[in-house]
Amino acid sequence: MQFVDKNEELCTKCHLCEDVCAAAINKSDDREKSAIRIDDGKNIGIINVCNQCGECIEVCSEQAIFKATNGVILINKSKCIGCLVCVGYCPSLSMIFHEEISVPFKCIACGKCTKECPTEAIYLKEIINEGQVAAGVVE
Amino acid sequence: MIKVNNRPIEWQEGMTIKKLINSLKYSYPVLIVTINGEHIPREKYEEAAVADGDDVKIIHPIAGG
Amino acid sequence: MSCVLTAEKVQKLKAARKVLKEIKYEPAKLEKGYANKTLYINLSDNSIVSKDVTEKMKDVFIGGKGFGLWYLWNAVAPSTKWNDPENEIVISPGPVGGITQYPGAGKSLVVSLSPTTGSVVDSNVGGHFGPLLKFSGWDALEIQGKADQEVIVFIDGNKGTISIEEAPLEAVDTHLIIEELTEMYAESEEDKRNISVVSSGTAAQNSLIGLLNFSFYDKRRKSPRVKQAGRGGIGTVFRDKNIKAVVVKFNGVKGDLNNPVDLKKIQELGIKLHKEIHDFDAIQTQKREVGTANLVEIMNDYDLLPVNNFKYGYHPETWKIDSKQIKKKVTQNMPDGCWYGCSMACAKAVDGFELKTGPYKGHKVLIDGPEYETVAAVGSNLGIFDLEHILECNFYCDTYGVDTISLGTTTAFLMECYESNILNKEITGGLELTFGNKDAAMELLHQMSRGEGFSKIAGQGVRKIKELLVKEYGADSHFLNDIGMENKGMEYSQYISKESLAQQGGYAMTNKGPQHDEAWLIFMDMVNNQIPSFEDKAEALHYFPMFRTWFGLMGLCKLPWNDIEPADNRQTSEPAKVPEHVQNYVELFNSVTGKTIDKKELIVQSERVYNFQRIFNIKMGFGQSLHDNPPYRSVGPVTVEEYLSRQDRYDQQMKELIGVDPEGKTIEEKMQITRKYREDQYDELRQTVYKRRGWTENGIPTLEHIKNLGIDFPEVVEVLKKHL
Repeated sequence: MQFVDKNEELCTKCHLCEDVCAAAINKSDDREKSAIRIDDGKNIGIINVCNQCGECIEVCSEQAIFKATNGVILINKSKCIGCLVCVGYCPSLSMIFHEEISVPFKCIACGKCTKECPTEAIYLKEIINEGQVAAGVVE
Repeated sequence: MIKVNNRPIEWQEGMTIKKLINSLKYSYPVLIVTINGEHIPREKYEEAAVADGDDVKIIHPIAGG
Repeated sequence: MSCVLTAEKVQKLKAARKVLKEIKYEPAKLEKGYANKTLYINLSDNSIVSKDVTEKMKDVFIGGKGFGLWYLWNAVAPSTKWNDPENEIVISPGPVGGITQYPGAGKSLVVSLSPTTGSVVDSNVGGHFGPLLKFSGWDALEIQGKADQEVIVFIDGNKGTISIEEAPLEAVDTHLIIEELTEMYAESEEDKRNISVVSSGTAAQNSLIGLLNFSFYDKRRKSPRVKQAGRGGIGTVFRDKNIKAVVVKFNGVKGDLNNPVDLKKIQELGIKLHKEIHDFDAIQTQKREVGTANLVEIMNDYDLLPVNNFKYGYHPETWKIDSKQIKKKVTQNMPDGCWYGCSMACAKAVDGFELKTGPYKGHKVLIDGPEYETVAAVGSNLGIFDLEHILECNFYCDTYGVDTISLGTTTAFLMECYESNILNKEITGGLELTFGNKDAAMELLHQMSRGEGFSKIAGQGVRKIKELLVKEYGADSHFLNDIGMENKGMEYSQYISKESLAQQGGYAMTNKGPQHDEAWLIFMDMVNNQIPSFEDKAEALHYFPMFRTWFGLMGLCKLPWNDIEPADNRQTSEPAKVPEHVQNYVELFNSVTGKTIDKKELIVQSERVYNFQRIFNIKMGFGQSLHDNPPYRSVGPVTVEEYLSRQDRYDQQMKELIGVDPEGKTIEEKMQITRKYREDQYDELRQTVYKRRGWTENGIPTLEHIKNLGIDFPEVVEVLKKHL
């Protein structure tokens, strides 16, 4: 599977990735609508982005969250009823919610932000890690 | 004599919070313990000594049902 | 299930239907949590009427149980009996009910006149019915009258239709009828989640302790499941009205259907609580893992688990039925909430359980639960420490429509009567009702479904059985009143209250009967000693019943209030109240309705309804001091063996609390001294509580108090004046 990995030491907090992401997934210039977050004050490092661990799949009562064949975790918007349990249950706080968007959203590992990052602090990585195998996320 | 939750309990030589909890059969997993008002964290139960005359509180935060 | 429901079978059920009445309506759009309409159905003349919700109703009664009490008050006279056509069943979710962001927001409140208490009773229940009813445009459903034939009421909230249909072929037992109706009304597998069924069962019609099941579709297990409105026999009223089921269908649940004034705030509060549950549930009460069953071992450890009709609080074999054992039976890692967005997820299920007895023997079934109350009621309190039996009994109670708490407490009472030679095989028709006899207990339940044998007596509940045993068999009424664990005609729920004076009051000074949903103060009082004086206890017996009443006005569940706590709760001045969560509720209400209450006004909202319910009891001939008398078994040791089992404790208390030296006294003398002391304590507590609640010495709300609360309507004052 692929996911956006990070090297926080290289991050200059230019926030360009947020602009790219907000435009790509929510057609917005509001950084609050980006699925990748830089230093948002939640104390989990500088770069907050989904690592596709898949813990949100099980907590969704509507089975609206699923793993695509490439290993990326996606949300079926029509099934989502907006309970936000996945937002509260995301271990890395990378499931994002914005009041103007009816359903939560997350990084879909499209890689657009990684292409724009001037310091290569974020990059697309293809990997099977042990944690995910143990959690049964990887088939 | 010590007080536990404002009730008198016989003090014993070498008494710790851990021993006290065991002797009272307080099995509830989450307790809030203070000795003379000072909070004792769970990992200190074994070493936290209870002296004669101490005012101990072992509160069960359970409001079940 | 071993009997597969075929499309053909469903077709046959449908073909036998006869539509008695059908109307079309325009489903109201919700505004600030209210549809502003309620639905009235009369099964005697098949009238279907839409009623307007007035601003006054919303201000005074709020919704949920408040609406139910108000409608029932207007429907019944003091002379009305539970099985008169005038009696109603009112189901209402409340204004906050149906939100999907905050855990525990799918409750329905059911109000009716109870077959066992004769007065008004309310019961709260999960499942999807209440919210789907509201989204279909109705803040409450009021059912009055009695059908001639077995009927089903069907509400389609998308099409805007309501029909009353004769339903001769559908099953009565819940696990069958919920499957039949879910299949019948859903257009696809996807559509099944949009259906909720209210049903009861065969034992509900043959006893007075019937319950209502509220279904919801479990998308992962691909089966409808049920939650129970257990207390007070409302299932018996339901069957007496000849109702097989009430079905609601609504497609399109979303997070904003309540049309709240501040959705963002609700979302913030929801995420905050989801996160708390994620971080702390596993180290706090483990609701996600074991539901309420973790209480089994805790209660046993603190001598509070009822054993053998509440005689004892501990049993060495409890480990066989504790949450560690239960965990092995219930399926894990499911988002087991009974309404959308409930991350507390206390609902649990046992999959593929093969039944060993009864009409469904050999069938593999899905069992909801077991809850703590059920484990104690049909297990330890009967001296039965067999988890397989408890699960089987849980299944049959649900499908037959019987309240596990009332059944358990009643059977425990019968077993003690049997062992005390008040009952014998001749009277029980051969059932050997000794403690621990699980076969006899199970057979009694199956009899109840068939309406046969000794169950016809057992199904009447403790109060009526006591009267019968005195009248027909010359039993000693004093002894029966001491050991019969009922108050106001309702059977006690499953906690030993002997060492907690506050909890004795928390049980017997309730509005509907001894149910712990008003106040649960055992640890605060007995173990933590945080409310030592009468005034402290009275304050707790004011605040907590009022606070807990509020959940029933809103359509909310109590669990996410104090079965999860914020990290810093212990450092607050009143951790037992969980101040941060109280503030969450204030903000939730304001964010949905646009009103501006604070935590004080929250209590006043409850006080209005609580006092109104007290006055409703008075209207029906109850609600006075004498009705708040507890059975002595809930206060102290009734029998010699009971005293001896805790002799050290009682002797020590005699010396230290009563100031009497037990040395040289006979057991009987000591029991008498203990009893006198404990009963006096209760009486003093009662007077202190009444005073705190704004009531007279006889437990009647004063005119001044109800004026201050703004519930001094002429008809209310009229009822009160007769007693002041």
